[in-house]
Amino acid sequence: MDREKYGTPIEVLLVEDNPGDVRLTKEALKEGKMQINLSVVVDGLDAMAFLRKEGKYKEVPTPDLILLDLNLPKKDGREVLADIKKDNNLKLIPVVVLTTSDAEQDIMKTYELHVNCYITKPVDYEQFITVVKSIEDFWLTIVRLPRGVWNG
Amino acid sequence: MQDYNKTKKQLINELFDLRQNVSELSISELNHKIVEADLKKERNFSSAFFDIVGALVMVLDSKGKIIQFNRTCQTITGYSIEEVRDKYFWDFFTVPEEVDKVKTAFKELQTGRYPNEYENYWRIKDGSLRLISWSNTEILKSDGTIEYVISSGIDITGRKETEEALKKKIQELARSNTELEQFAYVASHDLQEPLRMVTSFVQLLARRYKGHLDDDADEFIAYAVDGANRMKELINDLLTYSRVSSKGKEFKETNCASVINHVLNNLRLLIKEDDVIITCDELPTVIADSSQLVQIFQNLINNAIKFRSSKQTQIHIGAQDGGKERLFYVKDNGIGIEPEYFERIFSIFQRLHDKDNYPGTGIGLAICKKIVERHGGHIWLESEPGNGSTFYFTIPTGGNG
Repeated sequence: MDREKYGTPIEVLLVEDNPGDVRLTKEALKEGKMQINLSVVVDGLDAMAFLRKEGKYKEVPTPDLILLDLNLPKKDGREVLADIKKDNNLKLIPVVVLTTSDAEQDIMKTYELHVNCYITKPVDYEQFITVVKSIEDFWLTIVRLPRGVWNG
Repeated sequence: MQDYNKTKKQLINELFDLRQNVSELSISELNHKIVEADLKKERNFSSAFFDIVGALVMVLDSKGKIIQFNRTCQTITGYSIEEVRDKYFWDFFTVPEEVDKVKTAFKELQTGRYPNEYENYWRIKDGSLRLISWSNTEILKSDGTIEYVISSGIDITGRKETEEALKKKIQELARSNTELEQFAYVASHDLQEPLRMVTSFVQLLARRYKGHLDDDADEFIAYAVDGANRMKELINDLLTYSRVSSKGKEFKETNCASVINHVLNNLRLLIKEDDVIITCDELPTVIADSSQLVQIFQNLINNAIKFRSSKQTQIHIGAQDGGKERLFYVKDNGIGIEPEYFERIFSIFQRLHDKDNYPGTGIGLAICKKIVERHGGHIWLESEPGNGSTFYFTIPTGGNG
């Protein structure tokens, strides 16, 4: 757990098709205190290929945390989430859904698919920073996760 | 002669009898004549009446054959009485696919199962169809069996067409209304995404570069941030407004006292900060969307605090039983409103005051109005500048008006 101390970067996979949001997330993480290695994929198919280290993703690290948008091209976030949680090699990786939707049925459906937490993207940048910092604090600092997750 | 042998008394008696007979005869004859005259008059009267009524009137015998067929029948169907007399009515007028049904129904006449009132299509001489609304009366014989059926009908083809056209218009209106609501919802919802980009990056720009560029740049950024923030407010409010109908929940029994508790809890900081005195009547239970009732009261109380006068703010929440509906009101001692603005303040994005002293987009009362109307109630106010305002609204007791 003492990755901060050892300076090993934390691997985060961001599944997001909007370049603006990708940039905002990067900027927000830059303001944080942790050394984070952010990988980005822009659709659901690439997300699964990345996680399963298929094709061009053979050499990628296993993420410690997945930030997942729901509305994605090719394979949407719900399907990606379902696949992750069905996969014994992936299901322990915490998945944070970060989406614009605040629809009740999206929230319900996503928790039914065993998401670790659901967050609605704030419109305001200041709030967005707060959210990203909270994710960082909670999932990467406070929470204890099984060791396997870190060893991938 | 024997007659000569009759006594005078006998003769007188015979004469008396004879006279009696004659007079009785003439009375009965006279009566008969009178009865005949009456009958004729009655018949003329009936027949005139029969022909003059605007309705179709047809007399059938117990088998379904036409005996009488009034002028309206003849005008509407194009058949004369001579053409249809003593014929079964279904052979002329009933549409082919219904003949069997009508025949069977008519056979059940004697069992009293023939319907007294119904609507059906009549095929008339030119082949077109008319929709007739019928009512039937049976004339019974002394033994209780049916002798005649009098059918009286009104041609409702035109009325039906008007009704259909009206129904279609109402459906169209409802559909275009729904489309408009959906449009407002989709527009405000989908605008959020690009708006988030604009707001976020302008804020990021301000955060990173404020003070690092020249004064002009700082001013430009400030205007951009301010514009983006206002747009965010407007779009959010528009979304809230369109959600009143698109995301409204079903009406349930709602305890207004807990609604008020909820609202006061939401506003507790504001109430404490402004040292507001709030009093409240005992509030009833109504059939409503509870979260929307929270929205109404919260908007009204919030306004009462926002538009306060220099006096300490006092707000009273009241309720009255109006039979078919419940009347609620929120009374304040704030700055009040000129009567000429009473209508305007309920329109979307209409504001009466400057943004600096009274922030907001001007959507609150429009939302209140939309919610109240969704519940089938009304909203209005009484106010005088300088003497506070009282906002009233009603919620029908049955849930929906």
